[in-house]
Amino acid sequence: MTDLIDTLRHAIQHLAEQGLLPNSLTYGFVVNAVLAGLCIGPVLGGLGTLVVVKRLAFFSEAVGHAALTGVAIGILLGEPYTGPYGSLFAYCTLFGLLLMYLRNRTGLSPDTLIGVFLAVSLSLGASLLLILSGRVNIHILENVLFGSVLTVDTSDLLVLLVVSAVVVALTVPLYNRFMLASFNPQLASVRGVRVKLLDYLFVVLVTIVTVASVKVIGAILVGALLIIPAAAARLLSLSLRGFFWLSVLIATLSTQVGILVPIELELPVPSGAAIILTAGALFGLAAIVRGFTPALKGHAG
Amino acid sequence: MTVAGGPALGFDDVSLTLGQTDILLRVSLRVAAGGVHALVGPNGGGKSSLFKALLGQVPHRGRIALEWPGERPGVVGYVPQALAFDAGLPMTVMDFMGAMCQRRPVMLGLSRRWKAPVEQALHQVGMWEKAQRRMGALSGGERQRVLLAQALIPAPDLILLDEPMSALDEAGMRVFEALLAHWRGQRTTVLWIEHDLDAVTRLADRVTGLNRQVLFDGAPAEVLTPQRVLALFSNRHRHEEAQAVEEASA
Repeated sequence: MTDLIDTLRHAIQHLAEQGLLPNSLTYGFVVNAVLAGLCIGPVLGGLGTLVVVKRLAFFSEAVGHAALTGVAIGILLGEPYTGPYGSLFAYCTLFGLLLMYLRNRTGLSPDTLIGVFLAVSLSLGASLLLILSGRVNIHILENVLFGSVLTVDTSDLLVLLVVSAVVVALTVPLYNRFMLASFNPQLASVRGVRVKLLDYLFVVLVTIVTVASVKVIGAILVGALLIIPAAAARLLSLSLRGFFWLSVLIATLSTQVGILVPIELELPVPSGAAIILTAGALFGLAAIVRGFTPALKGHAG
Repeated sequence: MTVAGGPALGFDDVSLTLGQTDILLRVSLRVAAGGVHALVGPNGGGKSSLFKALLGQVPHRGRIALEWPGERPGVVGYVPQALAFDAGLPMTVMDFMGAMCQRRPVMLGLSRRWKAPVEQALHQVGMWEKAQRRMGALSGGERQRVLLAQALIPAPDLILLDEPMSALDEAGMRVFEALLAHWRGQRTTVLWIEHDLDAVTRLADRVTGLNRQVLFDGAPAEVLTPQRVLALFSNRHRHEEAQAVEEASA
């Protein structure tokens, strides 16, 4: 698998050297970032449509923020600070599952529970980071918070590829059922959907894809790429088909523009911020287009 | 598949308690196979909870038996009162039907296998012309028709209707009556929660008055007397009844 990624990277670098691709792709780390973006874009864009339908936007933001604490725990436990994936996956999955479990058990509304979890998790993260500040260069955390294309290596790409494959393999066949479960749980279960199980599964899927994207987009902003493209697509589409594919397109475009433009123009902007700014600009554009297109405002009512 | 017809249902001494509240109290009730059976009663009287118990979604005491005519259980259809979704969601009627019926994800479109049944179901409820409308842009009655349409696929042997007429207009009522006739013809068992007592009198074979316990059960023309209906729906009557029960047990 690693060999495959290396071969692919060399092929792209070779094409760039011959002038067939942008010059910046002659650098290995740029190719890595572009490949990561090509993974993250479609997966987050597609999954984002379900996040919006299921109204879990705030949840996906919270999971992203939990990643910060996950990184701190990882470094504390002695994992490499460039990729503490063990602690990241473990902590964030625990965060998501516990939140879901308490939602089912306590009947508290999700936004209240997320508020509690987010605050506690961030406090824990902040405390741990202070302890760590003596041990590692705290500037590394900027990369964790806002993402950095410079640090994406082959093993990061591998994690991303595997996670993307798992998420796609589970989400595509279960897409209708995920949606149905949120429309009317009782109707869904009459139709053979295991509502609770799918709720937990969805939380896990959002969590792992979020964690795998942290290196490129950063903990603070990763949740936003699940939401902004889907929100923009919702403004411009008239059917679920349009909604889904437009969201995928916008997310992919945003990641590519956000990764390549700062490098090409030598702007000192973190990749995560550039990606989200691009997505935000596309969202603004979508809002304007909708404003000027009566057909998009839907049929009266 | 539908030749065998729907199942008979037997509720035997079914009780349901949530927290400190008795939702259902020793409910015993038989629903005949292939008939139209209406459930009437005040809000909070436990009608929807009885559905939940039947579908195995709440822990209840007592026994609920589904007596399928064939060896294997048939298809259960369900028409809920409402759907929870964002009205601005770009989901057309067609998208919704696709999401309901097929495994294939809706963003890949309706599969060939389901195209004809979906088209027929939408024709049956008079929504085919509006198949490309957004669900959120439909009127309450139109949305209820779509909910009826989804229950037609696959053809049910037992159908549970939770106040399907509450938002229907005149034309919608005719559609609903035609559907009831259709299900009757297929020998589908229909269990139907309804507030409209006139409709129940005209369309149901049997009616049960439910307010935590079974208050009456029989053919609509016989049991839906003004006295009973008053007792079922008025607070004062219920209060007096409760007192009578208390005094009797004291």
